[in-house]
Amino acid sequence: MRFLWRGLSLCGILSVGLIAIPLRADAPPKPAGPPKAQAGAAKLDAQQLASQIDFYIAAAWGSKGVKPAPLADDAEYLRRVYLDLAGRIPRAMDVRDFLEDPNPSKRQELVERLLESPNYVNNFTNVWRALLLPQVNNQQVQFLIPSLEAWLHPRIKENVSYDKMVREILTAPVSANAQQMRRRSSNKRPDPTPTAFYQANELKPENLAASTSRLFLGVKLECAQCHNHPRANWTRKQFWEYAAFFSGIQPQGQGNMMAAPEMSERRALKIPGTETEVQARFLDGSEPNWESGTRTRAALASWVTAVDNPFFSRSAANRLWAHFFGVGLIEPVDEESEENPPSHPELLNELARQLIAHEFDLKYLIRAITSSQTYQRSSTVTDPSQNEPRLFSRMAVKGLTPEQLFDSLALATGYGEEGVPNPRVDTLGLNSPRAAFLAKFSSQEKRTEVQTSILQALALMNGQFVGDATSLERSRTLAAVADSPFFETPGRIEALFLATLSRKPSAEELAPLVKYVSEGGSKNDQKAALADVFWVLLNSAEFMLNH
Amino acid sequence: MARFQSNNGSQLSRRDWLRLSAAGVAGFSASGWLETLAADTANHPQRRHSCILLWMNGGPSQNDTFDLKPGHANGGPYKEIATAVPGIRISEHLPRLAKHMDKMVLVRSMSTKEGDHGRASFLMRTGYLPQGPIEYPSLGALVAKELGSDRSELPSFVSIGPYRFFNPAAYGAGFLGPTCAPLIVGENGVPTPGQQGDNNYEQALKVQDLDLPRDVSPRQAEARVQLLQGLEERFVMQHPGVAPLSHQTAYNRAVRLMRSAASRAFNLEEEPAALRDAYGRNQFGQGCLLARRLVELGVPFVEVTLGGLNGQVFGWDTHQENFNAVKDLSQVLDPAWSTLMEDLKVRGLLSSTLIVWMGEFGRTPKINPQRGRDHFPNAWSTVLAGGSIQGGRVVGRTSPDGMSVADRPVPVPDFLATICQSLGIDTMKMNVSNVGRPIRIVDKSAKPIQEILA
Repeated sequence: MRFLWRGLSLCGILSVGLIAIPLRADAPPKPAGPPKAQAGAAKLDAQQLASQIDFYIAAAWGSKGVKPAPLADDAEYLRRVYLDLAGRIPRAMDVRDFLEDPNPSKRQELVERLLESPNYVNNFTNVWRALLLPQVNNQQVQFLIPSLEAWLHPRIKENVSYDKMVREILTAPVSANAQQMRRRSSNKRPDPTPTAFYQANELKPENLAASTSRLFLGVKLECAQCHNHPRANWTRKQFWEYAAFFSGIQPQGQGNMMAAPEMSERRALKIPGTETEVQARFLDGSEPNWESGTRTRAALASWVTAVDNPFFSRSAANRLWAHFFGVGLIEPVDEESEENPPSHPELLNELARQLIAHEFDLKYLIRAITSSQTYQRSSTVTDPSQNEPRLFSRMAVKGLTPEQLFDSLALATGYGEEGVPNPRVDTLGLNSPRAAFLAKFSSQEKRTEVQTSILQALALMNGQFVGDATSLERSRTLAAVADSPFFETPGRIEALFLATLSRKPSAEELAPLVKYVSEGGSKNDQKAALADVFWVLLNSAEFMLNH
Repeated sequence: MARFQSNNGSQLSRRDWLRLSAAGVAGFSASGWLETLAADTANHPQRRHSCILLWMNGGPSQNDTFDLKPGHANGGPYKEIATAVPGIRISEHLPRLAKHMDKMVLVRSMSTKEGDHGRASFLMRTGYLPQGPIEYPSLGALVAKELGSDRSELPSFVSIGPYRFFNPAAYGAGFLGPTCAPLIVGENGVPTPGQQGDNNYEQALKVQDLDLPRDVSPRQAEARVQLLQGLEERFVMQHPGVAPLSHQTAYNRAVRLMRSAASRAFNLEEEPAALRDAYGRNQFGQGCLLARRLVELGVPFVEVTLGGLNGQVFGWDTHQENFNAVKDLSQVLDPAWSTLMEDLKVRGLLSSTLIVWMGEFGRTPKINPQRGRDHFPNAWSTVLAGGSIQGGRVVGRTSPDGMSVADRPVPVPDFLATICQSLGIDTMKMNVSNVGRPIRIVDKSAKPIQEILA
């Protein structure tokens, strides 16, 4: 489907045509020429794209006199990549093995191992679920989480291409009878289906329009629902024309979560509060070819995921970038506009191009990003020029999602079975320790500006979870370290650091801690003092953050 | 004195009040600790003002609360009743508030342009529109900064039962930083294990995890905190930024709260049962009681959200069945707010405590086909009471059909400037924002509503 530009005035950055290098009239002069590959022409492998990323990022530093942070050492890189890919910190023994491994390609091989791990699947199931169902506090929607996760899990495991996944979401059958709804809400073997997305949007065309546009196109339309958008150029009519693609979906009754049988060829609706009826139109003003028997949502799905839909590929690339860097190339990620252009427009276009060329294989893009030097920069600040996050001259400190925090705590403290608890189990048991914990740590802010609240601090300091974990009687990890005959005090402290902060303590850190433990802490008891050190590590900012 | 029962909250007669308040200054609690702390604060000549914000989440209908249009097609079924001030009439479902009209100012001519929950909440709560990179702080954070003290044990901004989903930034401290961030209790929409319905406010309104675990002694806790502070310091230095700093600040404030006697403010069971009944045995009513206790201890800003009943979070967002919903909400609001004002008065705190009643916008005068009213920022109502406000007045007027402001429109900066001036805050003061630009507390075009300020 050719992409038409009539009436589209998003910003001067996007240009007509399939794979053209876009230029703005006032864009900075193009750099001398990228190394190795000719941008815009070739399909680049992951390593080549990684070099491109570094090239474009560095190009923006030159004129500003930015001094980038050094590359992260092995320990810093290991923990970061584990959290970003596997959603949890590494085990202490994994840390030891990685630090001692002399293989020069160990970082890339680590990425490959993690991409094949079940933790990767769990982590990205959580990531996509959080995107599709942001309001998990809604009780009714909560019951549908298992079915959505059951649907996401195998697709992420098989690395189903991103465009295929989005097409499935957009065309998922929504009508259900009571029995089907019960099966979807089942905790044990839920029917896999993405329809929770529709329920979360209350089966309303206007909500679905706003959500799908934001999630899959990176365009925030909401304001245009009631009046012409104050900042971008969307009109109220355009909003409702886009919403009309969902006009066939109706709830069975007022406030009902169940959808009535869908009128799958309906493509018009009345703007509420008016007598104006609008026909379904894409955001660029074009219409699908309405042959007889065209299902409306299928037509939308084709347009959204079309290879020449720049919104789609850019938004996908940008979201994935934001996952790894904490900040998107367009930030906020779903509000591209003339006032909010990308920080590195050519880079974003290149990422989008390559994603298309690789048929929306997200793992390809992940490999490219994690191989780049930009991703491997340390997060410590060594020069004031590193304080502008959008220059990516250091890695930003990112918050953990509640799931990542809990799973990391569980691993560090030996809670539950060996290995990470299956996230699909017990998520709904509202009285389970995991659910109680997640409720207290629901994340709402921008990831690089995540706030810790007083209540969260209290929960970690005094709450039962950390209390059990730092009790010599109840904690397996602590007991193992405290009782092991193979360690002396420095070794024990090192073991605790490896289990929590995934690194060895520095000499300056170790000395006072050794002194504290040898002197028995506050109770004249070396084991109790060791428990104190463990408590401190688990409550530290360094543990709770991804850096 | 007549006494009538309503669904939530029984009324206290004058004799009850006298019995409950010793020497007309403070109520009694079992141990007497609250009076000691509170009396010092209440009687201090330099006592600063406090603000209690009653936040009506979802956008409360002005035509069914404080600006009725009886006899008009837009009027709806409610009747108007007379109040303590001749000429001012309000909804029949707010009878006890009607008796306090002499303390209240109805601003009937609020006028804004934002009809989206998220944007409108942000505008009302910060005075600015959510655009660009500047992270504007919410009113609570601004007041905490101006009137709070770094040395105080309780945080200077407490938020009771908020629902932050529409715009979390509207509830934060923005560029004022984590020391002005709120302590939040009873957050709506976050399920607490085992909690159902309204009656489990007891747990919800407590600060969870305030006490040390049983097997940890205060000495051991102290040693741990010291070790932790050392580790934190190094990490924050090497990783300047919001996230590490917020972590450090939260822990410091948490420790301070744990060590303070003032944290017992959250023990509502110390209050007499009759008083708790009068406020209403639900989260909003008990939240108002908690607000009184916090203000008594000198907390400069407390907000209590009335989002709905039985776990609802934006109950005022009455797109359908408006009249049943607003009646139910009114029957929670009326006893809670009126008891709050009586309680503050009896303790000598009302003249130094400003109460603000508002939501993010009003609702359409035209009733929709589902017997509901939709978002309407054009002409709506807010209320100010107590503090140095000259009560018993109405500011502004809407047209007979309620569709527009007929007299004295009040934009948001004016309203917030009025609040600030009543609290003794200089509105033209500047704070440095996160992009380095100084930002005034209230936009410089703001003109406080002088005729209601002392």
